Amino acid sequence: MAKIKPGDLDKIGETIKRTMLLREGTGRAKVIVHMGTCGIAAGARTVMKALMDEIESREVNDVILTISSCAGLCSREPMVTVELMGEPAVKYVDLTPEKAKRVFEEHVLGGKIVTEYALAAGSERTL
Amino acid sequence: MPYRANAMICTCTNCISNGSLQIKDALEAEIRRSGLETDILIVPTGASGLCVRGPILVVQPDGIFYQKLKKEDVPHLVEEHFLKGRPVKDLMYVPPGEQAPVPELRDIPFFKDQRLIALRNRGMIDPDKIEEYIARDGYKALAKALTQMKPEQIIEEIKASGLRGRGGAGFPTGAKWEFCRKSKGAPKYVICNADEGDPGAFMDRSIIEADPHSILEGMAIGGYAIGASKGYIYVRIEYPLAIERMETAVSQAREYGLLGEDILGAGFDFDVEIFRGAGAFVCGEETSLIASIEGRPPEPRIRPPFPAEFGLWEKPTNINNVETWSNVPVIINWGAKWFSEIGTETSKGTKVFSLAGNINNAGLVEVPMGITLREIVYDIGGGIPWDKKFKAVQTGGPSGGFIPSHLLDMPVDYERLKEVGAIMGSGGMVVMDEDTCIVDIAKYFLQFTNDESCGKCTACREGSEVLLKILDKISKGEGEETDLIILEELGNAIKEASMCGLGQTLPNPVLSTLLHFKDEYEAHIKYKRCPAAVCKGIISSPCQHTCPLEQDVPCYVSLIAQGKFEQAIEIVKEKNPLPSVCGRVCTATCEAKCRAGERGGDAISIRMLKRFLADYEREKGLHIMPKPKQSRPERVAIVGSGPAGLTCAYYLALEGYQVTIYESLPVAGGMLTVGIPDYRLPRNILDWEVENIKSLGVDIKTNTTVGIDIRLQDLWSKYEAVLIATGTHKGLKMNIEGEESPQVIDAVDFLRSINLGREVEIGQRVAVIGGGDAAIDAARVAKRLGKDVKILYRRTRREMPAAKEEVEGAIEEGIEIQFLVVPVRVLSENGQLKGIECVRMELGDVDKSGRRRPVPIKGSEFTMDIDTLMPAIGQQPDPSAVPSDKHLKTSKANTIEVSPDTLYSGMNGVFAGGDIVSGPSTVTSAMAQGKFAAKMIHKYIQELPMEWEYKVTVPIAHVEAVELTDKELEELQKPSMPLLSLEERSGNFKEVELGFTEEMAIKEAKRCLRCDLEMEEEGTTS
Repeated sequence: MAKIKPGDLDKIGETIKRTMLLREGTGRAKVIVHMGTCGIAAGARTVMKALMDEIESREVNDVILTISSCAGLCSREPMVTVELMGEPAVKYVDLTPEKAKRVFEEHVLGGKIVTEYALAAGSERTL
Repeated sequence: MPYRANAMICTCTNCISNGSLQIKDALEAEIRRSGLETDILIVPTGASGLCVRGPILVVQPDGIFYQKLKKEDVPHLVEEHFLKGRPVKDLMYVPPGEQAPVPELRDIPFFKDQRLIALRNRGMIDPDKIEEYIARDGYKALAKALTQMKPEQIIEEIKASGLRGRGGAGFPTGAKWEFCRKSKGAPKYVICNADEGDPGAFMDRSIIEADPHSILEGMAIGGYAIGASKGYIYVRIEYPLAIERMETAVSQAREYGLLGEDILGAGFDFDVEIFRGAGAFVCGEETSLIASIEGRPPEPRIRPPFPAEFGLWEKPTNINNVETWSNVPVIINWGAKWFSEIGTETSKGTKVFSLAGNINNAGLVEVPMGITLREIVYDIGGGIPWDKKFKAVQTGGPSGGFIPSHLLDMPVDYERLKEVGAIMGSGGMVVMDEDTCIVDIAKYFLQFTNDESCGKCTACREGSEVLLKILDKISKGEGEETDLIILEELGNAIKEASMCGLGQTLPNPVLSTLLHFKDEYEAHIKYKRCPAAVCKGIISSPCQHTCPLEQDVPCYVSLIAQGKFEQAIEIVKEKNPLPSVCGRVCTATCEAKCRAGERGGDAISIRMLKRFLADYEREKGLHIMPKPKQSRPERVAIVGSGPAGLTCAYYLALEGYQVTIYESLPVAGGMLTVGIPDYRLPRNILDWEVENIKSLGVDIKTNTTVGIDIRLQDLWSKYEAVLIATGTHKGLKMNIEGEESPQVIDAVDFLRSINLGREVEIGQRVAVIGGGDAAIDAARVAKRLGKDVKILYRRTRREMPAAKEEVEGAIEEGIEIQFLVVPVRVLSENGQLKGIECVRMELGDVDKSGRRRPVPIKGSEFTMDIDTLMPAIGQQPDPSAVPSDKHLKTSKANTIEVSPDTLYSGMNGVFAGGDIVSGPSTVTSAMAQGKFAAKMIHKYIQELPMEWEYKVTVPIAHVEAVELTDKELEELQKPSMPLLSLEERSGNFKEVELGFTEEMAIKEAKRCLRCDLEMEEEGTTS
């Protein structure tokens, strides 16, 4: 390990920033994949995988990806809730990996709600 | 790949000893099995703080807090939470006394009132990963200090922050650094004092285990500010995990160039060495610690010169405690101003405490200075287990002091603690409940410091020995009144004549308890009483010692277990003339102190077992009485046939005296007859017991009021001695508007009329005011008369003085109890009561009784429609029923004033006892006074000195313990008391409790732990 200079501290921090964000629970955005039995059966895991790939390939550091259970609307699974800091949560329904990628790009990164997949705005706590 | 959740598993020493490493292994295996290893990251962390609930797992990002995990829970947890996203409720934290789990850490009261500075990274990082520390702004303060600040600026910043030494003494850290920086001599050293040794304290260990880099960073900044290139971390060897984590941290910091030469390329060299101390308490003292590092015996030396001038290897040295060091980087990062805004005028920032002892949420807490002790104990600590009463909190360990309940609202800072005889100390905070004996606990701390004294100073070495011997003597009931003076004088002398902090503070536990709990020492010395029923040399068994009559509980209980009922009855009757009564209505302080009932266990049903014996005697037609002494000619008159009068008569008759009781009511028994309803104490049973006493030759003249039918003067001229025991038969007024309405009927009057078979007219809707036994009795009686009954009480159920079973019985029978409500006005129309106006209350500060004072909530007034109001808020003597004489002194509350040591009024052989002297009290207390009065009257008549030699409690006989078979041991269980069904109770006064069967009694008696035998054994071996 090389000796570090003051400026290196931020770089080291940056490499695990995503992990630390997750712990602190305070990202710029939080993406919740609903993974109840219904969600999993409808393909929530592939949606999750797609979102994880997006975060990885784009080297996104300020988004928390987490899961929750059934959102209560089993017929419209897989579902994802997107919460941008300071904005109401938006629920997306009937997702596929492709749709999820678009939601990620346009809403999570771009800040623009993908209305054609969105169910409604409204908040929900995981418990 | 990014992880979507972090499983933060606590690997502090405490959680590891509870199996957290096995949980971690199981988690890893299960996560792999579920194919989630790329989704979930397992992170070992330092202590979360709520150590008593370990092993602990916190799942981020949602902060779900799991506690008391077992290996078997893991598969279910992984499947539910990690796979399906459903947090598992069964594994969550449930606050004491509540049912609903609190899922998130930040909502748990224990956590939400804390403020983390020193512990900022606890539970958030893996202490073995420097990168995680760096990611949370780690080493940024060092970088800032080295590249942007001059050493003097750093010292100024620390001075401005107001940071004071967290090791206990509270010396300003900045000033200490400056002192060392300005000292001549090189090289200079900085030392981290991690020789944590106070019993019950584990702050330093936890900080090192959770966040070792915070200390290294603080030390490096300190080294730079002071001009030192070498640091030592002095950790006691009993902290292997802390040492291991610190070693890892040091080597990682070296690899990154954060320790060693040319740190961060800024030209500053600094490195540390970990020194393992052998675990001597005295090494917490800085000069001893230095001696230990130098390889000399750890003994202190006289200061000055201070280590800042003349320290390690005779060079300028700065020593700070772990917590102080870990605060430093935050102050540099966030600034002195930010830091100094937290806390009080003189004490800035936060303090870490290890909360231990009789507290629900034992653990590690960090709180802002200035928080009250009540917030720490009740809000964060979750209060005292098993609803016991708070007695004291001890801060500062063996060097500290005890703070009693009336100071609970005191803000915590260095100065305020000192004012009340305690100290901040390093952060040990031991909470003690009512079952803690002050003498015993002072002895415990003295034993500790006596063991740990290095022996260099005579005052400390020998003085602690003498203090300990005196405390030991007091705890055996052999103390003398001069001992308290010696304790205080010697304590102060040791403080002055000792060289180091150990000796200078070791008398504190004694001195501060003498300050706040002197009466408890006096109880041990003068009355041979241990109020907490702890000191073995005094109490024999807690039940016997606590009983006002000193009943030989273990003896008779054990005889019941052996089926020797008659022998058991003999033992009971030696000390109690009214076992049928006590077996039914005694408040049973014995059960409250029963060892079998500790920690939520079931106390032996002592009251029920006594009742069983009394019922056995009556039902079998036995007549077991102690044999009276030869008849004497002297005559004694007793005024009042309540428990005090009857008991006094019994013992005087046994002594051979001719006793006459004068009773103004048409029946004997006093409050037992007219105050207690039949369903609790059936009249025929009480009468049988009174007849037994009469059979000793006691004459009871009913319908005879002294003062009306016969003058008191006539009594003292006709009799050798007179006892006045007329009780407290008058209810207290509420002093509210409209109270004079005829439909306001005092509960005591109501009960008396009912018990005397008189007609009482009351309305359909009845409200009883009060929370004592009289309130419950009146309510249950009114209910039996077919009325709709409510009880209004101004405090909460927790503060209710009435017996728990009675309150439960009332609720079962359909009586509604409204808490925190008080009537303020009686509403009448045309002379007819229509209702009451009430106000709601909330609990405020603690009053003299140790309970929180109810305070009215403004604007919460409401009315309640009722027809009859029954106040039951307390009683006092009825002046018209107290035989008066100008020589007889009475108090404002109309009680009679007599010498507390003799119960003698000082004139004409007149004594007084029972409630008329003490004010309303329990049946057994009144009986105890009656018994004591008999002894004093005997001495008076025989012209013996009227003194009483108080003695420690000893059993009346030796009863062998019962051997139990393995099967019996397994089946031991408290039987539930058979009760009359609700339907059978309604509309009549049949006895509710039905009593134990023979089989139940024997079984229950076998559960007795026989504390008396343990004491016997200890007594012979020591």
